Amino acid sequence: MTPRPLRLTVNGRAVELVDVPASERLLDTLRWRLRSKGTKEGCRTGGCGACTVLVDGRTCLSCLTLTHEVDGTEVTTIEVGPEDAVVTRVRTAFEEAGALQCGYCTPGFVMALAGLLRERGTSATREELLEGVGGNLCRCTGYVAIVRAIESLRSGGP
Amino acid sequence: MAAFDLVVPETAEEAIAALQTLGPGEAAPIAGGTDLLHDVEEGRLLARRIISLRRLPWRTLDWNGNALTIGSTLPLRALEDDRQVRERYPGLYEAVRNVGSVALRHRATLGGNLVRSAPSSDLIPVLLTLDAEVDLVGPHGDRRVPVDRFVQASRRTDLRTGELVRSIRLPEARPSAFFWQRVRPSNDISQIVLAVAFAPAERSWRVAVGGVTPRPTLLAEAATALGAGRPSPDAVRRAAESASARAPFMTDRRASEEYRRRLVGTLLERAVASTVGTAGFPA
Amino acid sequence: MTAAIRPDAAIKLVGAAVFGTDLDVPGMLWAAFVPAPVAHGQIRSLDLRAARALPGVTVVGPEELAGLVGPGERDQERPLFAQGEILYRNQPLAVVAAPSALEARAAVAAVRVEVDPLPVVVDLETIFPEWPGSEADASPAVTAHVRARHGNVEAEVRRADRVVSEIYRTASVHQVALEPHACVAEIRGDTWYVRTTTQSPFGVREDASSLLGLPESSLVVEGTWVGGGFGGKGSSFLEPYALLLARATGRPVRFALGYREEFRLGRTTLPAVIRMETAVTGGRIRARRVRLLLDVGNSLPGRDFATGYSIGFLLGPYRTKTFEVEGYAVRTHKPPFGPHRAPFAPQCAFVVESHLDHVARELNLDPEEFRARHMWQEGDMTPLGQKVGPFGLATAFERARATARQWRAEAPAGHGVGVGCGFWSTSTGAGGEVRLRLGPRRLVVVEGEREIGSGSVLAGLTAVAVRVTGLPRDRVSIEYGNTSEAPFDSGVYGSRTLAVLGRAIEEAVVGLRRTLAERLGARGQAELSIERDEIYAEAGERRAALSVLLTPEEGAAGGIVSEGRHVAPPRSIDESRVVAGTFYPYTDFTGVAHVAQVAVDPATGAVRVERYAAYHDAGTVVDAGAAQAQVEGGVAMGLGTALTEEAIWSDDGRLVNDGLLDYRIPTLAEVPPITVEFIEGFAGAGPFGAKGLGEPPIIPVPATVAIAVRAACGAHLTELPLTAERVARALKLL
Repeated sequence: MTPRPLRLTVNGRAVELVDVPASERLLDTLRWRLRSKGTKEGCRTGGCGACTVLVDGRTCLSCLTLTHEVDGTEVTTIEVGPEDAVVTRVRTAFEEAGALQCGYCTPGFVMALAGLLRERGTSATREELLEGVGGNLCRCTGYVAIVRAIESLRSGGP
Repeated sequence: MAAFDLVVPETAEEAIAALQTLGPGEAAPIAGGTDLLHDVEEGRLLARRIISLRRLPWRTLDWNGNALTIGSTLPLRALEDDRQVRERYPGLYEAVRNVGSVALRHRATLGGNLVRSAPSSDLIPVLLTLDAEVDLVGPHGDRRVPVDRFVQASRRTDLRTGELVRSIRLPEARPSAFFWQRVRPSNDISQIVLAVAFAPAERSWRVAVGGVTPRPTLLAEAATALGAGRPSPDAVRRAAESASARAPFMTDRRASEEYRRRLVGTLLERAVASTVGTAGFPA
Repeated sequence: MTAAIRPDAAIKLVGAAVFGTDLDVPGMLWAAFVPAPVAHGQIRSLDLRAARALPGVTVVGPEELAGLVGPGERDQERPLFAQGEILYRNQPLAVVAAPSALEARAAVAAVRVEVDPLPVVVDLETIFPEWPGSEADASPAVTAHVRARHGNVEAEVRRADRVVSEIYRTASVHQVALEPHACVAEIRGDTWYVRTTTQSPFGVREDASSLLGLPESSLVVEGTWVGGGFGGKGSSFLEPYALLLARATGRPVRFALGYREEFRLGRTTLPAVIRMETAVTGGRIRARRVRLLLDVGNSLPGRDFATGYSIGFLLGPYRTKTFEVEGYAVRTHKPPFGPHRAPFAPQCAFVVESHLDHVARELNLDPEEFRARHMWQEGDMTPLGQKVGPFGLATAFERARATARQWRAEAPAGHGVGVGCGFWSTSTGAGGEVRLRLGPRRLVVVEGEREIGSGSVLAGLTAVAVRVTGLPRDRVSIEYGNTSEAPFDSGVYGSRTLAVLGRAIEEAVVGLRRTLAERLGARGQAELSIERDEIYAEAGERRAALSVLLTPEEGAAGGIVSEGRHVAPPRSIDESRVVAGTFYPYTDFTGVAHVAQVAVDPATGAVRVERYAAYHDAGTVVDAGAAQAQVEGGVAMGLGTALTEEAIWSDDGRLVNDGLLDYRIPTLAEVPPITVEFIEGFAGAGPFGAKGLGEPPIIPVPATVAIAVRAACGAHLTELPLTAERVARALKLL
């Protein structure tokens, strides 16, 4: 059975993909087919959050998502441009708070927070934001600077 | 690790038919996919054909008075976000919001959790205390099965060939609570979970435990010991002792049987106190 | 705390930083290991034919090695593939390359291996249920033996007021960098070229060339951005295999491990059993005896850095005139022991701090006062006869005690506050070099280390360069060069980057400024400044723009070049105290004292850390932001070692929790607010007296938490990690 063509919008750009096997993950489509390496591969079992992207504005573990299952959706990754105001805000908060060291978990964290901000809007509480990254692991920062970034997002900055 | 093909039926009938096109176990449904793809990654999947349920109209939340029917492919996050679920089914809310992570809950479903039927499931014990029922559709018509009969063991349920879980029905809202013990507070699998609920019409308790073998289980004796209303401290103690003695705990890499036995009493006490403390608890 | 924004932040925040796992070369093949199916066995046959027959698949096994790399002398003790005898589960038997990851897995599955199983040994205490003493010398399980002593322990023990003996057990922990090991290898003419995620490009070059039997000059290693190292990426791992496959196929080859493989093949801290004995008279320690049994997995006889090195940390930063220490490195059927962050030092600090805390309590002495009384000061002798250099631990300890007093006064019932200490020595490796290029508008530091995330390169070295040149930060950049372009350095590990490359920068700048002064016709060193976007040099009476002072060649090359090199001065211990094996001198002395407030759930034993403070003897803080970040990260990592991290092995040598779900590293919810304070003024080995900061922060954490737990509920735990179940047992809940 030949897989049917897929249509996605990735960071605002329409993409049509053919011959994508049914078993292919969104993570691998992004990284190897579309050659966008910004989304990171971690555990591949949903446990670390490094692969987090947005699908129709909601956070999604791309390692546990079949690309065909998100056919027709809008995918947003860390590579989205400055036109995405929410992601830009989160990026700035991270930069100013020094909330990254090696940077490997960073795309996952940024997208997880961007997704939560989109979902909950400006009324997102500190607890909701912290909970929103409960599935994102970091080994370098001890999360302290990440919490600072989150607090600055919560208080209306940057 | 085998490759598989994917079909995306538009209706339940198509989905049921698709499940039967191959031999037993060769076709499997996918809802959120978080369990299924985990299995694929671990090399455990045997199916050659995956039937996507994403086009079926099963992402529903239907109230009928206080009774609630949850569509099997509704993402857990939608359940968690519903104000009324939080108010009327506090135990369920607490269990759902502790599953995995937010991103996971955007895809994971109640139907998927039921069919996976894990001994450590957080959601099944809650469903047991709510006397939940599973609505199944299949080639030989529809069936309704109590959750207590539906889940049998790890990865084994009463699901027959060609059947799908269409929805889960909660017959009545109950003061309820859900307590757990884990190594880590977030993004972790529980060592032991305890769910309690008080059925106001019957004036009886339900107690269910997870982290036991072969499947989450109702503890009838503990529930009886709690009595017909607000339990006395003595009754709670007897219920805790019964739970500790009778629950079929297991030793695994998360905790020893002994430790689980020791914890269940404490969790039961806390859960009962929480339930009795809810606004809706009858006098 | 505001600090200069890291220059690598922007590229990482848009997902443009290329890590090892991101390497993507047209036409590249995908590699995988053929793993040994048992932990110990004799290979009867290895049949690669079916795998080879698969389309596009190449298999390299032990038979193909000589044909691919030639007759050069390979490190015989560390063969790339199992030779006859399998020594740990998943040990590489061969490697495959295929057009895709899926096909590589299929090729591995097609390999037929027949093994005669042999008895598997995984547990230290099965091999040596009691302390073996000299009986161990004859045991084939022992790969290293260290022993040192001074004074008459027996005499002190006999006349002691009290002798306290305890046994401690510590668990195996993994580095768990978020990014797995990954590399892409290519053969370019005569050059074997590999791009890889590593803490040490030159280390990989040396190690891989030795394993392959190639001259170092034929290997070029280029480091990518690194998604965390923590000791696990300090030497070669996948590179030799990827290079072999590149050679065999003529194509670029990608080799990246999956997460399960990272755990299963991880070379890291392994379990240990430590016996501590302390004799006290008149409230003072009179004698100590330390006995260490260290599981070293499949480590080679004689190749042991851990045992002798760890004994020093088990004695702790305490004056110890009379002692006997002994350690045995014990071989088991696991991958070899490898470095973690401050390798095994957190476990050692847990043992010595918990033990001394316990000893004091047994004698009804104040446990903090007891440690303070014996704590090293500058000028004291270490047990192995080395003079303690400038050392700020006593100051850090007093700050920690003051905080602990305050927290105790505020803490509710059932909460406990504890203070724990540790020390570290900046490891300097084989030295390092830098090359500076000062152009008309900026200074470029060319060096051979990648920024692995700790900030030691981008933040630390920049800060040093800024300080010694006087140039503004935006005029200084660090340029990474691969092993054929950049000067040599041993690697980012052992907290050494600042100490070694920082000093090399100092030296290079001094040379630069002297040269410029000469060109200005003056003596001494020229001062640098910026005017109208150009760099000016001033010495004596003259001042000129740099562009005017360059020779035509220098102008064409982009600037005046100066090289700096640093090799740490050798230090020594008193070898007369050594009876057997190798012990190590310290380069400098870094003190750390931490405070934790914890709550213990009396019904479940669950430990929750509520707040934490860290006092660090830092010498001189060169970049405050990076320094604080290192402490925060190290403390969080230490909390994992303290509370939840434990690699569990089955009796048949299988790692049971080989994934993130069951090997638990801390999540955001588990890290409490952390206050960090630096103590400056006690000079270390680095520029301006800076001390290494990458590793000290993790060292006292398990100790501090354990002492706080005891304060909270009275449970005295002698085993790591401090799981709820263990605390529950200690509280007699079970």
